[in-house]
Parts: sequence; C-alpha cells; structure tokens
Amino acid sequence: MDDINKKHSELTFQAIVEATPNAIVLVNKEGKIAYTNNQTEKLFGYSRFELVGQMVEMLIPERFHRHHPQFRGTFFASPETRAMGSGRELFAIRKDNVEFPVEVGLNPLVTIDGTMVLVSIIDITTRKKAEERFRLVVESAPNAMILVNKEGVITLINKQTEKLFGYDRRELIGQKLEILIPEKFRAGHPHHRNMFFSSPSVRSMGAGRELFAARKDGSEFPVEIGLNPIETDDETVVLASIIDITERKRHEAFVKLELKNKELEHFNYIASHDLQEPLRTVSNYIQILEEDFSVRLDEEAKAHLQTISNATKRMSVLVRSLLDFSRLGQGQKLVPIDCNVLVQDVIADLTGLIQNSSAIIKLEELPKINGYETELRQLFQNLINNAIKFRRKGLPPAISIGCWKNGLYTEFYVADNGIGIDSRHFERIFHIFQRLNSARDYDGYGIGLANCKKIAEIHGGAIWVESELGAGSTFRFTISNLQI
Amino acid sequence: MNNRVNCIMLVDDNKSDNFFHERVIRKCNAADTIITKESAQEALDYLKTRESVENVNPDLIFLDINMPGMNGWEFLEEYKKLDKNRQSTMVVIMLTTSDNSDDKVQAKTTGVLSDFKTKPLTKEMLEEVLDKFHNDNFNEENTF
Repeated sequence: MDDINKKHSELTFQAIVEATPNAIVLVNKEGKIAYTNNQTEKLFGYSRFELVGQMVEMLIPERFHRHHPQFRGTFFASPETRAMGSGRELFAIRKDNVEFPVEVGLNPLVTIDGTMVLVSIIDITTRKKAEERFRLVVESAPNAMILVNKEGVITLINKQTEKLFGYDRRELIGQKLEILIPEKFRAGHPHHRNMFFSSPSVRSMGAGRELFAARKDGSEFPVEIGLNPIETDDETVVLASIIDITERKRHEAFVKLELKNKELEHFNYIASHDLQEPLRTVSNYIQILEEDFSVRLDEEAKAHLQTISNATKRMSVLVRSLLDFSRLGQGQKLVPIDCNVLVQDVIADLTGLIQNSSAIIKLEELPKINGYETELRQLFQNLINNAIKFRRKGLPPAISIGCWKNGLYTEFYVADNGIGIDSRHFERIFHIFQRLNSARDYDGYGIGLANCKKIAEIHGGAIWVESELGAGSTFRFTISNLQI
Repeated sequence: MNNRVNCIMLVDDNKSDNFFHERVIRKCNAADTIITKESAQEALDYLKTRESVENVNPDLIFLDINMPGMNGWEFLEEYKKLDKNRQSTMVVIMLTTSDNSDDKVQAKTTGVLSDFKTKPLTKEMLEEVLDKFHNDNFNEENTF
C-alpha cells in the first residue's frame, strides 16, 4: 500500500469516526488511547489532547482499575467484535468525576502499529432511568407483578408478589415461573408459555379456564392473570399481573347461593299458594255435600267423606306449613331481646298444656341477645312444646332451660326427661315433614324442628340434639352475636 | 239475617269459588241480588253501564286478587276512576287465597279497600262484614 493510499484511508477512517453519534476511542494493546472523536470529548468533558496518549483507565471509575488491564489482556488474546462486560453493569467516569452507566462495544482493528481495539461507548443513563422507573412502577403496583423471559425464568418481581406467594424475592428471581403454579398444572405450562411467545399480545391468561397459583407453603388459590409482552433490546419478555380472586370467588359463590335460595323461596311460595286453591275447592265441596246432601248419603258414604275431609285439612296444614317455613325470617328486623321475658311469655302461652301435663320447668337466668323476635319465640315454643309432648307415660315432664355464652355466640339448651331419641335419628328429626312417631301416639306434621333448624340458621347458628332412647333429650342451639 | 243488603257482587275467575260464595250468601239470606262476574273487566263494565241499563247497584263487592287479564289490584285502580258518588255507597272486600303479608301492605296503599279476607267466605265472615257495613265503620276507619 503506497503512502497516498494509506493517507487516504486514514482520512476516510477519521471522517467515519468523527461522524458516528457514539463516543469512539481507539486503544492499543498497552491500554493507551491512540485516537478519540468529538463525541468522546463531549461525553467525558476532556479535550482529545488530554486523552490521547493516556491510559484508557482514566475513563473508568477507580474501583474497576485493578481488574481492567486483565480484561483488556483477555480481549487482545482472542480479539473479536463483541459487547464488553457480558451481563455486568458497566460504568464510565467523566472529567468532573461524575459516573454514568454505559454500554461498550469492542472491535479489534489491525493496524501497522499492531492490533488495536476500537471502543464504542454509549451513555445509557436515560435507558437505565427508564428501567428504574419501570422497576418502581412494577414495585408500587397493587397487584403481584412478575417479569418472565422466554425461557420462563423470573427476572423481576414486586413486593406484592412476595406477599401473595410467601417467597422472598431472592428465592424467586432466577427460578422457573412454574414454581408458582400448582404441581398438577406444571407439566402443561411451558407449552402455554411457548404459545404465548409465538404470538405475544396483551391478553388475560387462561381464556375461560380457572387459574390457580401455589404459595410457598403449597396452598393453592384462584387467580386472574393479565399478560403484557414487553419488547426489550435483547428479547421479548412478559409482564404477568396476578390478582388473588379468592374473595371474589367466595362472593360469587355466595351470590349464587343467595339467588338459589331466593328462587327456592319463590318456588315454595308459589307452590304453597297455588296448591291452596284447588285444595280449598275440594274442602268447599265436601262442605256442600255434608250440608246439602246429608239426607241422601248413607253412613258409609259419610264416613268416606269424613276421611276425604280429614286428608284435605291435613294437606292444607302441610301446604301452609311449607309456606310459613319458606317465610321464616323474611322481612323481619333484628331487635334486642331479653330471653328471660321471651321464654316467660312462651311459658305463659303454654299454661294449659303445662298444667294438664303437670310439667315442671326450671328456668336459668337467660341473656339479652339480638335476634328475630317472632322466630325466636317460635323456636322456644316448639322445643318446650316438644319436651312436653314427647313425655314418658306416667312421668310428669321436667324441663330445664339454660345457656352459656362466649364471644361469638350464645348456646341455649332445652333438656327434658321424655321418651328420648335414637341416635340414628339425630339428623332426620330436623328435616321437614319427617316424623319418628306414629300419628296414633303423637300427632303432628313434622314441621316444628325443621322450623327450629331454619330459625337457628337465620341467626347464624345451628341446632342439634343429645339424647338416649328412654332417657330424655337435650336440644341445643346457638345464636350468633349479631350486630343490629 | 238481620243485616241484609240489597246487592252483593262477586268478582272471581274461579267458577267454583263463585258458586260456593254465592251459596254461602244465599244460605245466610244476606242479599236480595247476587251478581257474579268471572273477570275484573266484566265487573268494571257492569259498574260503568249500570245506570243507563238500570242495573242493580252493588252494596258490597268481594274481589279476588289473582285473576287472569285484569287482576284485583288493577280493578281497584280502574274502580277509583269511577264517579265518587257511586263509589261511596260501595264497599270492596278483597278475598285472597293466602294471607300474604305483602298483599296486606299493598292493600293499605289503595285507599278504597275496606277489608281483606282469606278464602273461603264463611257465614261468620259474612256476618262480620255486614255488621260493619251497617255500623258504617268502613268509611271512617280502614279496618285492617
């Protein structure tokens, strides 16, 4: 190559270097700066005369000085075009001692003075700030947010993620995302992930499927997940936003149940209302037959008519009971109730029955509670009535009523010395229209205890029985401490 | 019966209820005339045209709630639009199948209903209604 040509190519090189928007520094094997461009002067605040001939380390913060010559040596041992510091964060320092983050590209350049390296430096302060801002936004998001790369490795999480899943962020970053998915769904997940990355778009995950996540302790919970693909310089990553929908699910189930209940009550009402009508017609016409056709009917016909009449009356009571049952607690208001007064009233109402059966009722001091008054009265009345009704032959009923209270509820009991109940029937007796005793011995419709159960339940409580056949029964029920 | 009225009207789509109620009224000898209408519209038409064709003026109306087409409540709305003079001589008693408390609440808001009874109409019920009618209790107090 002759001198003219050489001169020409040097000029061309200089023109190119000056024209590039990046800071360019030409460094030789010894680490000395051989050449810099205008951008370098601007970026570092040195003039090129201050730089040329100096060690390149003057552009690097002091804490990196010790290892830098070694890195340089490694580069020159096998020079190839590459980015510097793979994976490490790189910093440069200006003349005024201000550090800034950089990205550095290295290009080996063979010259007559030996192999040199053409260093291209980009100030990434703005990008780093944007990244930091992104990190802050993610951190302060009210949802759990997780940044995942194409391989499914978690690269960033926020505080909410730590809270929601019970992991420390150091435990999650670098892990496969599948750690947060219940085991039974893990195997299928990489496939879903690949599908997403093959056509990334902002969308919610799982399209119609129920999604579940797993905490560190293995417990699972329902989630809703939004996926946002984010293009970075190197690759597409996905930002997943995760919401715990346990509460929502619970609420949905509750609403569904309420709706079902309403439906059922409506059905119950319609059925019992509309059933009454034909029933009334039957009994009306029995009455007509009895009153207007009496002389034309013989005794046998009259007896049959009586049977029809009895059955109709019974059905009428059953249908009305069903209606009353469906209406329990509806439109009622919670009021403060002095149970002593309430139970005394019930006992007063039952005076006739109590005297006829020589029953003795022992009443403990009862508390004041909040409840539905009519229903609660009915509950006590049914239990006391049963205690008297199901007495043993020749043994006057002895009934004791009392309660104990804790922070959550009051538990009442009504104990008797009556015929008792086989443990097989402890559940059944609370079902509507279930009766244990034949109508010959004890009449009834099998509605009282079903009402009691519903009344306890509308008070947030429950009812159950402790009993032994022939040894009396103790009915216990709870009433939650209800706020008015 | 001592407390007789001139005319009682029964409005009920259920023929057998009308038959039964008419029979109770007849047995009690409670009215000279009993008019039965199987729809609210027919009853209303009767009330609207009765002067021109010299129909009998009912003193008491027993009205069913659940009827196809115009129901008892809708009948009452139309009834309110009638000439006030005609209304004042009439008493409307609602007859229902069940004592639904919602119905009772609604009944209070109509302003023209005089009473609310559960079917079937009985001798005792009829006597009570007629007693009240003659003591003129209906218009002074709404007796629910």
